[in-house]
Amino acid sequence: MKSRLLRNVLGSLLSFVLVMGIWQAIVVWGQVAPYIAPRPLDAFRAISGDWSTLWPLTLWTLRETVYGFLAGAVLGVVFGIVMHKIAMLQRVLYPILIVTQAIPIVALAAPLVLMLGFNLGPKIVIVAWIVFFPVTVNVLDGLTHVDGDLLTLARVLGARRWRTFLVIEVPAAIAPLFSGLKIGATYAVTGAIIGEMAASSGSSLALYQHNANANLNAAAVYGTTLIMTAIGISWFLLIVSLEFWATPWRRRVTARRRRIGGKHK
Amino acid sequence: MSQRQIRRAVLALAIASSSIAVAGVAASAATPTNVRFVYDFPGPDFELTPLVVGITEGIYQQAGLKVSVLFPPDTSTTSKMLTTGSADVGFITTSDMAVAVQAKAPLVSIANYSMSNNWGLFAKPGSKLTLANLKGKKIFSWGDTWTNAMLPFVLKKAGLKASDVTVVTASNDIPLLMSGKIDFTTSTSNYGIPGILEATKASPVSIVGAAAGVPNVPVWVYSVTRDYAKNHPATARAFLAATLKATQWAIKNPAKAVADFVKKYPKSGYSSFYSTKGWGITVPLLTNAQGKFFTQTDAQWTLLANGMKSNGQLKSVPSASTYYTNAFIPQQ
Repeated sequence: MKSRLLRNVLGSLLSFVLVMGIWQAIVVWGQVAPYIAPRPLDAFRAISGDWSTLWPLTLWTLRETVYGFLAGAVLGVVFGIVMHKIAMLQRVLYPILIVTQAIPIVALAAPLVLMLGFNLGPKIVIVAWIVFFPVTVNVLDGLTHVDGDLLTLARVLGARRWRTFLVIEVPAAIAPLFSGLKIGATYAVTGAIIGEMAASSGSSLALYQHNANANLNAAAVYGTTLIMTAIGISWFLLIVSLEFWATPWRRRVTARRRRIGGKHK
Repeated sequence: MSQRQIRRAVLALAIASSSIAVAGVAASAATPTNVRFVYDFPGPDFELTPLVVGITEGIYQQAGLKVSVLFPPDTSTTSKMLTTGSADVGFITTSDMAVAVQAKAPLVSIANYSMSNNWGLFAKPGSKLTLANLKGKKIFSWGDTWTNAMLPFVLKKAGLKASDVTVVTASNDIPLLMSGKIDFTTSTSNYGIPGILEATKASPVSIVGAAAGVPNVPVWVYSVTRDYAKNHPATARAFLAATLKATQWAIKNPAKAVADFVKKYPKSGYSSFYSTKGWGITVPLLTNAQGKFFTQTDAQWTLLANGMKSNGQLKSVPSASTYYTNAFIPQQ
């Protein structure tokens, strides 16, 4: 297990070095001017050189991402369950859900700002808007594709509906739920940045990048992009870790032995 | 084939080849020089009127130029499009020019577009807008180098610190102003007045130029790369001469000029009323006190660069000649 983890970490590190190498090669060999694209090291220097400004902005964007993600995830799970349980509601809501995702999010950002102002509100709504759809669809899919034989068996054994739901349907929906959460986690930071770009009062990571771009400070533009990417990757990895912890049956075929009364059973 | 026939064939071939050669030379002499003009905004608006007039009224064609207009993906990319060779002549703010020089982008301004500073604060009709009541207010900013350069002057004149106001940056100001989400917006008079006028059917309240405490420096310039200026001086000269003619034509015939713009860009998103009003307010800004177009001065660049240095946008102030040349401006 440990060696597999080590291999994965090494693989990720190699990918990182490879990407940085390609970036460096393009800039150096292409003789790209520093105000068009900086060398990777200059982008990292831009981050470290203004870290005291960037850190609070990063925390703010992280907060928007996390709050919006949690709101979207909860909404997605609730929608998935309700739509699964009430077939009529599913028929009515499903087309609406698809329409919500067909609306360009940037078009939604401006009215949201007018309704909710410049602070956390519109950013959380935009992130939740992006996250809830993959979660809903995956939860619904997981609940719909529960093994019919298991449900029949539960009915034959006299299990109540809520018990069947908790013991059979929920575990079956957990793996698809995490697939939805992982998709949502990847896009959540993009939603937060779109929200910041739509309107910000005072300062934000997107506004910092906007100003850097206006001042032809490409190192700071790429530096902030690296920070935004790091937020997205960190959040994705956190969800992957949560999935690893929450779905042990995906790694082992047999159930873990539980100690009852001091003896292994 | 007899000798006579051979001689005839050779003669015919010679005539044919020389005709083709002559036609080729004539064609190349008539081929206009391409000039790719990149605007400072992702879409067209009334400040493009002289360029559109130059194109549609055949003024550039008479000067041997074929001018095409490009639009950048955002307001910060115009300079980069010039330096990467994606465009030949650009339209940028003087503050963009200053930061470009600081970033060592090899740009040079070849002419002023406007000659004075018409930037300031704007509010809904009937609002109370004075420098004395700015404290605690929400002020809109486009987040561009020009607003970043000018706003500190306003605050300084009002005796305020940056933390005394809330600066809101968003993609559009009018809906925020109308809904009361912001108290004041920042703009130039030729954009600010028509925008609010169209939305409210009444003139906005404004503090512009010296009254707002900003230095009287031109807002927009035509620029090229130093390489382009060096390698295509005749084209740069021809472009400015034709643009001057087109500008003067658009001033004499404002209704037709705006109609040309609306016809060329029917989907610009701006009404004919907005464009007419905007161009009308722009016209007096295009000449200096002597009635001259385009002419740049050391003083304008030094004043701007010193101002931008004082608010931290520039690290140093280079000599004024670093920013501009009047070498391509036609006689007036």
